[in-house]
Amino acid sequence: MDWVFLSELAINGALTGLLYSLFAIGLVLIYKASSVPNLSQGGLTMVGAYVVLALSHDAGLPLWLAIPLAAVIMFGLGFGIERVALRRLAGRPVVMILMLTLGLDIFLRGTTLAIWGGTSRSVDLGVSYEPLFLGDIFVSRIHLVGAGVALALFVAFMLFFRTRTGIKLRAIADDYMASWSVGISVERGVGLSWALASVVAVAAGVIWGEIQGVDQALSLLLLKGLTVAVLGGLDSILGAVIAGIILGVVENVGADLLDPLVGGGSRELIVAAVLILTVMIRPHGLFGRHDIERV
Amino acid sequence: MQEKVEAQNILSMNSVEVLYDNVMLAIKGVSVQVPTGEMIALLGSNGAGKSTTLKAVSGLLKAERGRISRGEITFQGTDITEVLAQNRVGMGICHVIEGRRVFEHLTPDENLTAAAPRGMSRSALNAEKEKIYDYFPRLAERRNSQAGYLSGGEQQMLAIGRALVTQPKLLMLDEPSLGLAPFLVEEIFGILQKINQEEGVSVLLVEQNALAALEIVSQGYLIENGRVVMHGTAEALKSNSDIQEFYLGGGEETDFHNVKHYSRRKRWLS
Ligand SMILES: Nc1ncnc2c1ncn2[C@@H]1O[C@H](COP(=O)(O)OP(=O)(O)O)[C@@H](O)[C@H]1O
Ligand SMILES: [Mg+2]
Repeated sequence: MDWVFLSELAINGALTGLLYSLFAIGLVLIYKASSVPNLSQGGLTMVGAYVVLALSHDAGLPLWLAIPLAAVIMFGLGFGIERVALRRLAGRPVVMILMLTLGLDIFLRGTTLAIWGGTSRSVDLGVSYEPLFLGDIFVSRIHLVGAGVALALFVAFMLFFRTRTGIKLRAIADDYMASWSVGISVERGVGLSWALASVVAVAAGVIWGEIQGVDQALSLLLLKGLTVAVLGGLDSILGAVIAGIILGVVENVGADLLDPLVGGGSRELIVAAVLILTVMIRPHGLFGRHDIERV
Repeated sequence: MQEKVEAQNILSMNSVEVLYDNVMLAIKGVSVQVPTGEMIALLGSNGAGKSTTLKAVSGLLKAERGRISRGEITFQGTDITEVLAQNRVGMGICHVIEGRRVFEHLTPDENLTAAAPRGMSRSALNAEKEKIYDYFPRLAERRNSQAGYLSGGEQQMLAIGRALVTQPKLLMLDEPSLGLAPFLVEEIFGILQKINQEEGVSVLLVEQNALAALEIVSQGYLIENGRVVMHGTAEALKSNSDIQEFYLGGGEETDFHNVKHYSRRKRWLS
């Protein structure tokens, strides 16, 4: 076995995995507050990328301005979704909220298709595609940048959840009724979690849009993002980061070993196996919280 | 005359009716007065309508698809029947809901932070926390452990402490003694009494444990089937034979003279 080659697979796998984490952090934010996996996170990510393109390529703003502006717009959109759609569902079965997010995903995909069409567009972040060598190991610069963004967001959210607003959001995730009883606005908290997830969607949309182009396929990131979120435990940001790395490495190394045997296509199988096995063997994921047994 | 009464009562419920799901009439004309600065008990058996009465005051009915279909509730002379729950907390009404319900995955310290009113400064919050830890030294010891792993008594203390952070003028507690050992009930009730005296917080206490409750309150209301069936001073209720028979485990002669209001139609608790 060639150790340099194996390390290269593992490191690039880990970097790709962190890009899955970048996506999955958005899922975790919403799951924490609403107890549903947001099936429209893929759609939101795609919208985030399109909004950046609209501001930069169509309206002519520089990217350094277009991206933060898109984040602000998406922040507002996240709040809007809570206000218009979710608030009516308060107190309904969680499966209804899940179906709402599915409907929202279909809506977002349809809307982007109608407005921007189906042809793939590029973001042109300006990150060089020159090969970058760490010792003997080749890594992709855009993946490195994306992994850095994922880690920066991770740190930012860890700090955020220690602030007073962050603590209130965690309280909402624990118990709506108790939150209301001490005057926490649950509605505003849920809205904020959607708003933050929408900002994360801009980051994921830009990075993934740069890598694979901006088109409808961006919304399919949901499948891998969901796998990472479930493996991480759905409500743990740290879990999403670690699980992303694990999935990325397993997928990259595993596919290299298995592809010659099965003749390609083993990546999807590995992702499917991770998702199914997690749900079967460890439904709380790696870092998901168990509900505490009362003494 | 009417205004004078308003000023004396921090809370006044007049013939309040509550409907759940637009069909289930849970309380049927409850009138309860809490004089400012006093501790009042709501007694009664399971399903009588005690929790519903508190939810009507705190506005938490909304979360259970309940609504006030008749009557009015005034707090410090203002009609609050239509005020949103979160704004009632801001006015000074805090409801410690049934079953403790601390934020389990947060530490006790974070539980207190979560309840901080908007605009409370960091130093004011810290001072508030220290005051609460003085009332409940057991919590201070465990302030950074996970709240879900506290004992039942500690969780109840935390739930009360968390309510105090909201700066209540009226503190409503729903069965704080439930499932706790007698010495803990005594400890917690003692602290409630201290809070009432030192902070001037008025207290509306829902209890099935009438014996313990009547030791610390000045008046009590007995609720049965969604109606107030008895109202009197704690002394009068303690010496009432029905109360004794069903709650205090005794059976002396009924003394109706000290009971202000007694409208028993059929035997309650049958
Ligand atoms: N959320 C609800 N929906 C429908 N009915 C309810 C609800 N909560 C309570 N009830 C009914 O209202 C009545 C009073 O309940 P409750 O106020 O909880 O009594 P208590 O606190 O005295 O035990 C009971 O008959 C109960 O079944
Ligand atoms: Mg009750």
